[in-house]
Amino acid sequence: MVERFLEGWSVYKENLIGKIGLTLLVIFALMALCSFFPPMIDPMYHPMTGVDPNISHSTSPSWRHWLGTDFIGRDILCQLLAGARIAFMVGISAAFMSILLGTVIGMIAGYSGKIVDTLLMRLADMIMVMPTLLVVLILSSLFGQLNIWTIVLLIALFRWPGVSRVIRAQTLSLKERPFIEAAKVAGASHFRVIFRHIMPNVLPLSLLYMTFRVTSAIIIEAALAFLGFGDPSTVSWGMMLQWVWKTGHMFQAPYWLLPPGICISLLTLSFYMLGRAMEEVLDPRLRKEIAQE
Amino acid sequence: MEIRKFIFKRLIEIFVIFFVILTVLFLLFRLAPGDPVTRMVDPTMTPEDAAHLIAQLGLDQPIWLQYIYYLKNFFTGNFGISFHYGVAVFSIILNRLPNTILLFSTSILLSAFVGIFLGKIASWHKGEKTDTWMTLGALICHTLFLPWLALILIWIFGFNIGWFPLNGMISPEIWLDSSSGFWLKFLDVAHHMVLPLATLFLIHFGSYLLLMRSSMLDTLREDYILTARAKGLTEKVIRNHHAAPNAALPVVTSVGISLAFSLGGGALTETVFSWPGIGRELVFAVSNSDYPLAQASFLLIATVVLISNLVVDVLYAYLDPRIKY
Repeated sequence: MVERFLEGWSVYKENLIGKIGLTLLVIFALMALCSFFPPMIDPMYHPMTGVDPNISHSTSPSWRHWLGTDFIGRDILCQLLAGARIAFMVGISAAFMSILLGTVIGMIAGYSGKIVDTLLMRLADMIMVMPTLLVVLILSSLFGQLNIWTIVLLIALFRWPGVSRVIRAQTLSLKERPFIEAAKVAGASHFRVIFRHIMPNVLPLSLLYMTFRVTSAIIIEAALAFLGFGDPSTVSWGMMLQWVWKTGHMFQAPYWLLPPGICISLLTLSFYMLGRAMEEVLDPRLRKEIAQE
Repeated sequence: MEIRKFIFKRLIEIFVIFFVILTVLFLLFRLAPGDPVTRMVDPTMTPEDAAHLIAQLGLDQPIWLQYIYYLKNFFTGNFGISFHYGVAVFSIILNRLPNTILLFSTSILLSAFVGIFLGKIASWHKGEKTDTWMTLGALICHTLFLPWLALILIWIFGFNIGWFPLNGMISPEIWLDSSSGFWLKFLDVAHHMVLPLATLFLIHFGSYLLLMRSSMLDTLREDYILTARAKGLTEKVIRNHHAAPNAALPVVTSVGISLAFSLGGGALTETVFSWPGIGRELVFAVSNSDYPLAQASFLLIATVVLISNLVVDVLYAYLDPRIKY
């Protein structure tokens, strides 16, 4: 396992796009870690509730507020740092859940075949044609303000079909291999064959897909927040953009408009680059199936 | 004949999917917390009007009968009355649909053609500077956050330079003036469309470029390309007539797959630019708890996705005669 990883790593680090992606990712991870410190220095640096007592409107960058303040005097830099934390949280947890669902469903569909396969894949087709963002919008109108974990869960529930298709195809070819046959002859249960013998072989592929899912999860959460349907108790980058836009500061406050958008774009870019580089490490032949989102 | 059979099969599939969406939406609207009557009937209506609407929508009936009413109303185009506009929802969405289709299809076609064209060039210069810059540019454009890009474009080209209007689709002074002819109106809409179109184009062309590039690289390894070279054809002919048409096929498929995704982006674009389309209407309806309007807009968007998927499938069958159904 370690050897395989090291081998992959030696290929990976030759990849320019992969290196850029990883560097960006490390920077954002540091930002997310740093988000814990400003509120400790002074309560006015709290991203959500901290208000500078001397400021009641949006101000441009100064020594006291490196990136300026928003319309009620909250520090933009602190919001930006907190946003990094939320983006990682949302992106990784939603991607992890959708990959888990997609992998398990894909393996079961591919392994069992017949009616189970048909049913699961039809379900996947159906979910695939639904625009996730708009579905979540409708649900939030019906069920009221969604909190951040509900949003994560919904994103995961609607983003598994793409993964499950690929995993299913992989499982179909795996289950014809001799080692699966051998496991069955040795008396392994279906459960054991799927999770013990097939899963380790599809896992690298799932992991690859996870990077692309992180990207889409971050974008969907940001878009929801931008439209005003985010979790009101969190400060995400999408939320910050909504504040700039809705309070009519977009023409007057470039110091406020630019950073959140740049952060969302760069973070999704870095995950995307990571994915593309990993793709080449894992299997150059997979190239075609992925860049579709 | 085969292709007709295929289209027929896809039509049935689409119909089934649509039916399921219709049913799920019905259940969601009935099972969500709160009273379905207050959800579908505007609280500010007069009691007589409300009673009439309730009877029309079957809201006083048991749930299975409500479902029948719902289906009947759907197929006769009766979606209830919008809370905000106070008129039939159907006429509103019918009015917005062409605007969405105009913006959306133009942007998809433009980005697909440009993406295919540039991807072809990038693959031809593989490993060179042209290729590196194009790939990097495509990656960056593709991952830009759409609403932010829209705001930035408005800020730069609308506000600072002032080349294009900040939002909307038409200038009232031109459309209300009876002396302005078709071309003036056409140019006015085109002028308003530049920025939203640019937003959608910039977001989408990157993925098509990347896909075309890798597909082209695969195709160039095929034997028939070698044959073409051996025949002494020029590189240009090989690229444009032998490799490109085949390499473009996966791009067509991906247009179909990414449609649902693009429609979400379309709704964001319409909202930021106040483009009077279905997506903006949906966002607006959801923000204002205008449930009848939200429901109908969503159904219409789902229909658009399904039909465009069918169109892409048929196009694919037409483009690739090797496909057997």
